[in-house]
Amino acid sequence: MKFSRLVVQVLLVFAVVTSVVLSYFIWTNTARYQRGRNVDVTTTESDKNKIPINQVISPTQVIWQDGNDQKLIYNNEENISFSVQNVMSDWKFDHVTKIFKKDGARYQKTIQKHNDIQLVYPTAITVRTLGYLLNSSVLKHSTDYSFNRIIINLNNKKDKNIYLANDNNYAVYKVGVRDASAEPILKLAKKSNIDLKVRLNLMKHGVFTFYTEPIKMRTYSYVIDEKQDSEYTTSLFDANSDDLVTSQDGDVYTYNYSETKRLISDHDRGELTFYDYTDTSVPKNKVAFFQRGYNKAVNLQSSVSNLRLYDADFNDKDLVFREYVEGFPIFKKSQFGSIKIGFSRNGTTEHFLNKVLEVPVPSSNSETTLKSTTSILKGLDKAGYSVNDIQDIQAGYQWESESENQDVVDLTPTYYIKIDNHWRPYQEWTNESAEEG
Amino acid sequence: MDFRRIEIIFLIVFVSLDVFLLLSFRNSQQIVTSSSTNTSTVSEMRKRDISFGKLDTKSGSAYYLGSKPNNNLVNNVGKLRDQEFQYDESTHKLTSSLNTPITITKSNRIKKLDTFMKRESNVLFGTQYKYVPQLSTSSQIVFAQTDETLGEIYDKTAQLTFNVSGDKVTGYTQTYVNDVMILHEKEATKSEKDIIINLYTNSEISNNSKITYANLAYTKLLEAKGSTIYIPVWFVTVQNKDSKVNSLKKVNAFTGNVIKSSTTGDDYSE
Repeated sequence: MKFSRLVVQVLLVFAVVTSVVLSYFIWTNTARYQRGRNVDVTTTESDKNKIPINQVISPTQVIWQDGNDQKLIYNNEENISFSVQNVMSDWKFDHVTKIFKKDGARYQKTIQKHNDIQLVYPTAITVRTLGYLLNSSVLKHSTDYSFNRIIINLNNKKDKNIYLANDNNYAVYKVGVRDASAEPILKLAKKSNIDLKVRLNLMKHGVFTFYTEPIKMRTYSYVIDEKQDSEYTTSLFDANSDDLVTSQDGDVYTYNYSETKRLISDHDRGELTFYDYTDTSVPKNKVAFFQRGYNKAVNLQSSVSNLRLYDADFNDKDLVFREYVEGFPIFKKSQFGSIKIGFSRNGTTEHFLNKVLEVPVPSSNSETTLKSTTSILKGLDKAGYSVNDIQDIQAGYQWESESENQDVVDLTPTYYIKIDNHWRPYQEWTNESAEEG
Repeated sequence: MDFRRIEIIFLIVFVSLDVFLLLSFRNSQQIVTSSSTNTSTVSEMRKRDISFGKLDTKSGSAYYLGSKPNNNLVNNVGKLRDQEFQYDESTHKLTSSLNTPITITKSNRIKKLDTFMKRESNVLFGTQYKYVPQLSTSSQIVFAQTDETLGEIYDKTAQLTFNVSGDKVTGYTQTYVNDVMILHEKEATKSEKDIIINLYTNSEISNNSKITYANLAYTKLLEAKGSTIYIPVWFVTVQNKDSKVNSLKKVNAFTGNVIKSSTTGDDYSE
């Protein structure tokens, strides 16, 4: 009698404990399940038709020191920078350590080292952002140093590190790598079909890529897509178009949605500005800053994968995106690139243009030869701009609409120079052509 | 005694609670494993009597291609023998009727035509074309121009079509592209599975049908600045299981967008 009572009691305790354990599992599991499902939904959505984040936040220049010369390389059939990132995504990374900081001479030596390949971002990103892009949990939790160059050694097998370099403070960091081989990268570099001799020079306003010889650049043409305001209002105001209040002042159209969102479209300039006063959270860390900027940019433009992060300022919380062809930036008439996104406590602001590159078409002119960077600097000096006035200098493409064909745009190469925070082509600063001969 | 009964009642209640919790726990586990939306779409399609082989999930890469019209066909017509031809200068199309028609049967027609076109005096650049069952009908046998490295072009600007009447091939029409340029670095293309799911979710695949072909080939997107631009497109043939009627669906391989068939025919122009 007593024995069976003991059995019942033991079983009862066991049943109670089991129910508690099971409830615990179900509670935590449901949470995980729901979270997992959310992640799933966002990835499938972004997978669909958008450019992946590692193509937008990507190095644009690949510079190879082959033992003799340093050269900017490109393959117009395969983006080397994307392919190198693919190779790197299989590597295992160890912790990041600082080697030195604010040492210009040592910095110059590092970025001119022999037998290495460097991937150059147009603007500094951070270690954790790289960890996110390459899916490395070690880097994701590392100290969040900023850098804009990844330097990979190609022939020293003993050196099991890659280096991250920052032009802004002349700092170099070391990252240990395992399961890594430079061989596939060297193969990609050898497959390049465009190479331009360069020299990386430290100037007052940063590191400039000097083309030591006149450079041959191809001309490109694209069919462009000119979007109507209505396409933006439907995607940006997730609301019924009946609720929109429209007003017009000359060529400037304004669309308001219940004082929380506003789109201003300047039909004359083809520029639009979108204000979202409901989005008042400011990204607290740099990874979130880049991610949110990317999401907003691809929401505005998702055609041919030419869009790159061009400039990012975490203090002012704004990001600039620009379109690129074959590693060179495209400069349109606007001062803000293609897309400029700003976060603030009052809401987000998005500046953008309604014309985007859609389909590449064969160009009528084949190649243009531009002067070397040194002769460009001489020309600027003659026009009264000293080297120290120049904030940046870049070979890039000028956006020129064809008069007889409005749907096609020609991209012609020229030098762009930034002075007093304004980007202008060389001919506008000097009244001289940047072309050789 | 009463306390004992309470204990037993409690035991029964807790055991049944455990059973219930265990069942719901297992249920939630199962949902987690089948949370991938794609697999569920595929099984939904199977449930609706849509049959297809194993779908390839690997995505490839392709280019934007461009080509300028050329006169290679008309410049080489002197090489052709035993046929009468016409050349249309605006469409760059060669139409030829054979002096002695080729007799074919259902089983040997491809083999016979293949050997016929390999000879330059029969068909110009004949070695560059490959048979495409997906585009052929009982009255037309279609061969598509194929580039060794870039792949096939399924388009009216790069095609060799034999006209069949009864058991005779009476003639052919031919178009030809050359000097194909790569206009943009390679870009990722959607996988076969992605586009089949896209077609299904866009209600382009009806119940009780069979996917007989799914091929990736270049096709004309548009003409600009005197050149033709080609993009990769998935050509999917869907056959109704009862009526055996085929319908050809096209999906842009870069974007995954379904291309609605235009009224003008095979050309895809936006």
